[in-house]
Amino acid sequence: MTEDNQPVETNELYAVGLARAFGGAVIFGIPLMMTMEMWSLGFSIDRLRLLLFIGVNLLVLIGLSYFAGFEKTFSWREDVMDALAAFGVGVITSAAILALFAVIALDMTWTEIIGKVALQSVPASIGAMLGRKQLGAEQDTGAEDERKREAGYAGELFPMLAGALFLAFNMAPTEEMILIAFQMTPWHGIALGVVSIALLHIFVYVLGFSGQETPPEGGTFMRTFLHFTLAGYGIALLVSLYVLWTFGRTEDTALAQVAMMTVVLAFPAALGAATARLVI
Amino acid sequence: MVQQRTADRDGTQQKANHTPWLEWVASGIGLLLTLGIFGSIGWQAFDDAGAPPAIAVDVTRVVPVEGGYRVEFRARNSTGSTASQVEIEGKLAGDGAEAEIGHVVFDYIPGHSERKGGMFFTREPRQESLALRALGFADP
Repeated sequence: MTEDNQPVETNELYAVGLARAFGGAVIFGIPLMMTMEMWSLGFSIDRLRLLLFIGVNLLVLIGLSYFAGFEKTFSWREDVMDALAAFGVGVITSAAILALFAVIALDMTWTEIIGKVALQSVPASIGAMLGRKQLGAEQDTGAEDERKREAGYAGELFPMLAGALFLAFNMAPTEEMILIAFQMTPWHGIALGVVSIALLHIFVYVLGFSGQETPPEGGTFMRTFLHFTLAGYGIALLVSLYVLWTFGRTEDTALAQVAMMTVVLAFPAALGAATARLVI
Repeated sequence: MVQQRTADRDGTQQKANHTPWLEWVASGIGLLLTLGIFGSIGWQAFDDAGAPPAIAVDVTRVVPVEGGYRVEFRARNSTGSTASQVEIEGKLAGDGAEAEIGHVVFDYIPGHSERKGGMFFTREPRQESLALRALGFADP
């Protein structure tokens, strides 16, 4: 008999994975479910921006399924199915917990209920995907590394994008993000940007967390810094701006203020980008 | 031995193509929820989200309580857009006496939704002497 270390996907195994997905959805989703601003954003956020955001979330889920997957055989069907299942788990978990908190109730209009659940399902579904993939024991890290290698530079950047999106989204709804930006001077802004870039570089290449990236072969410090660290910070900035726009924070606001808010939000986004590479 | 190996290869082949039915169920439910959410939010987007809020206030009940009367009311936003910091004022005009004023602020009244509240007055409110209205709102 030949030894096969690839577990057969049975219903039992899938059910265990699904249970882990619910666990991940609760753990990753709970901070935002208990954030007041998220409830009102659920119904006040621009509908088209909300739609676009959920669409982006689905794409990120498919990407996560690809990069953090435990099955060697890559197929679009599998990854899309995984993403849909994770989204479904996110929606069900959000609806159940919001109902438990009396944030949604049957006497509310369905537009309000759906808005609240849809917005919460974004972090919950990312949690579901990570819970299923990361909390499980049968993860095939070999396949993961192989995929990252195959994807090349994009394989380096995508996890940063997912991590930045997740952490930026966790912070952006709160009033504090704007308040912090308002009370900072331009010098504070510049300092915060420099600290963000430094931490991003240190977290990924210096500290030696598990899953640390080795700087590309033959790469000088400058090359690694430009190609990966600065690219990562660029992603953090773009993701922050996108999330702020989604939440309507950029409306009728001076460019300088928007820039300051983006730098403030890019701080957690950069940390998310740095640590996501270690998680995924 | 040869037979054994053939059997193994068949097994592997099956393994690769086999998707547990639970996976179909889970992703099918996910697909339904996704389409449902996209559909309903998309419908709202093109419905009437553009019109600014309009808020009507109705008295639902007047109950005698210790020290006066409790007037219960509901404030209904009849348009699709959310109003925040909605201030409701209740004015109870007296027969010759000074009017009693009540204030309530709702943090939010979402589109096509209502919020309930109450005010206390010392005199008995009668229909003709009691007026409740929304004073204003802020865009969220």
